[in-house]
Formats: sequence, C-alpha cells, structure tokens
Amino acid sequence: MQPEPQVGDAYLVARARDGYLDAYEMLVQRHSAMAYRVALRLCGDHHDAQDIAQEALIAAWQNLARFRAESSFSTWLYRIVTRRALNKVTRGRAAELADLLDEVADPVPGPAAQAERNLAVDAVTDALAALPFPQRAVVILHHFEGLSYAQVAEVTRSSVPAVRSHLFRARRTLGTKLEEWR
Amino acid sequence: MTGSVSEPPSGGSAVRHLLNAVTLPCDADVDELLEQVADGRGADRDAHQRDCVHCQAALAEFAALWAPVIDIAARPVPAPRGLTAAVMSQIRVLVRDVWYTLQTTDLGVIRIAARIVAALARDSARMVPGVRVALGRSTHSKLAELAEQGSLKHRHPHAAVGVLGRTAVVDLAVAVTYGDPVRDVARDIQRHVIATLRESIGLQTITVNVTVDDILTGDDQ
Repeated sequence: MQPEPQVGDAYLVARARDGYLDAYEMLVQRHSAMAYRVALRLCGDHHDAQDIAQEALIAAWQNLARFRAESSFSTWLYRIVTRRALNKVTRGRAAELADLLDEVADPVPGPAAQAERNLAVDAVTDALAALPFPQRAVVILHHFEGLSYAQVAEVTRSSVPAVRSHLFRARRTLGTKLEEWR
Repeated sequence: MTGSVSEPPSGGSAVRHLLNAVTLPCDADVDELLEQVADGRGADRDAHQRDCVHCQAALAEFAALWAPVIDIAARPVPAPRGLTAAVMSQIRVLVRDVWYTLQTTDLGVIRIAARIVAALARDSARMVPGVRVALGRSTHSKLAELAEQGSLKHRHPHAAVGVLGRTAVVDLAVAVTYGDPVRDVARDIQRHVIATLRESIGLQTITVNVTVDDILTGDDQ
C-alpha cells in the first residue's frame, strides 16, 4: 500500500464533518499522544490523563460542527484538554503530579545517573505540582509543548501580556523550588 | 522580591539572590534573563550581555537551574496503547455505525460490519496508481435508512439500526496526484474497489461513489 501522505488537519476535519469516520480516526491518531501528554502533565495521574484525553477527543468529535477554522484543530484540542484537566484538578483530589516519565521507554543510563535523573524528575514534578493551575498550564503549554505566547493565549482565551506575566511568576517559583533541590 | 542585586554570593544562594531581585546591577531585567534561558536562547547574547559579567553569571546560573526542565520537556510521553481504538469505538457507538452486510449460506448467516466494508474499500482505493489519500464511508444515511426499512426482519440483535443485506453503497473521498487524469483515476478506483469487495466479501451489488476533493503535488508528500 502507498504511504499515507500528510494531508492537513483542515482537510481531515472537513471530511470528518461529512461523516468519514476514518478521517477523524486519522486526526485521533495524530493528536492522541498530545492530548494524553498534556493531560498527564497537568493533572499528574495516568488514569485521569487517559480519561481526559479520551473525553476530550470524543468531545471534539461531537463539537466538530461548531469548530471554526479560525484556530487550528490542535489549538482547539489543547483548549479542550486543558479545560477538562482544570475541571478534574479542581473537582477532585489534590493535584499531586506523578512521575511524568512513568510511561516513557528511554535508553537506561547507569544506576548513579539514573538515580540523579529520577531526582531531577521528582524535583521538576514536585515544583510543577506546587504551581497554581493557571501558571502550571502556561508552563506546560509553552515550555513543554512549545506553543508560542500567542498560541497559549489562544488556548487559554487570555492575552499575550497575561500569559507572559503568568510565565514570569511561574519561572521564579519553579526556579526557587529547583534551587532548593540542587 | 527586592530591587537590584548588589554582590551575589556564590553557589545555590547566588541563584536565590537572583530570583529575589528585579534587576541586576547593570539594570538587566532578571525575568527577561530567565525567560531567555528557559526559551533556549541562553547562548544568543546581545552586545551588552557579551561584555557584562553580571549578565553572563546570571545566564550561567539560570542555565544550570533550568536544565532539568528542558531535559524532561524533551523526553517523549507516548499515548497509552489502545487510546485511539477506545476513542473510535465510543464514537462508533454514538453514531450507531453498526450496519451489517448479510449473507445467508447453508451453514448460517454471515454479517460483516459496514465499517469493515468501508475500510476494505478505502484500502483498495489506496492501491490505485494516482491515489494519494482515500477515506471510506460505509453508506449514505438516506440510503441506509431505506435499506433499514427494507430489511427490518434481518435486524441484528445488537445493532441499533439494521442491515444492508447483499448490497453495499460505499462513498470514497480521495485526493489524487497532480497531473494524473482525474476521471480515469476515479474510474480505476471504482473498478478496483468493486472487484476487491466482490472477491473478499462476496457482495454482488455494489455502488462505489467517488468524490475527488483534493489534488496533491509532490511537495505534499
């Protein structure tokens, strides 16, 4: 079979709206890792993250008709995931971020280096968990997902100065926590 | 947070000192320096920073401090296995996409979900030269409704809508390669898909509707 070329998300969204479920399946394959990763980093629990990712992808499908092409599909999905993670975190138990790398298969370094890396992971994880949700969200979206300030503002329905201000505060708090760990 | 840093102590307390200040003795903004490092631009120093020991020291301290964050952010977090399948399975339930073909044989009844027919048609269409993308849809909702009315007695016990019987209507949306004769490609798709479905499923009455809705150039690969 010929390799599948990279058609744009907009094409797939349009076809999914026409009832082509496999178009939406391609979108899910493309974006499910992002949905899960962001949910995991925001709420810290593997099972919650899986639920959030699943619910967000289904909600996106249910609302495809309302999706305006003003933003990209991924930006829209980031927004749905972030909102659902916020609901989960504020509704449920304390947002204790689990090890972000629990599920990651990575080349295994030596025991001493591994212990050092685990400590670093714990330190970053704890420092992120201690941030208020809006600050954690902007850190995850900008520094972990690589979204620009403008994109983060779009996802959070905020402004670029507000995003920048949250990031300034978040970085200082994170820096202070990381400094305590060093 | 205090004003400017005077003489920063060394080591860990130097960073704490920096993080509690607004500016360095050279008036450089501490937040902007931390932003520069956190955004991976720590080495892109401007003319002032290239000559300023305060900025250089602060950038170096922040680079060491922020390194674990950059490290962790760069590491992949794969989606759990089965996530896509779980999502699509729930969506199929929501759209009641449970049409079946129905064939009665001397050994019993064979039912094949319409989405399987659509997937076979899609994969078959992708084999046709000139086809770059093919998406399959099992049947048009209106036709499905008519088929349901005509085949209520064959209703599958677990199906929400019914069966299509021995006939299938498959819609294909395809994108083709720029320069290929679109009409010829579309005809080839119809012939190829019909032959595939006849051979693999045994359906005799098959309608294949092809919509060519995009033309891709080599750059789109």
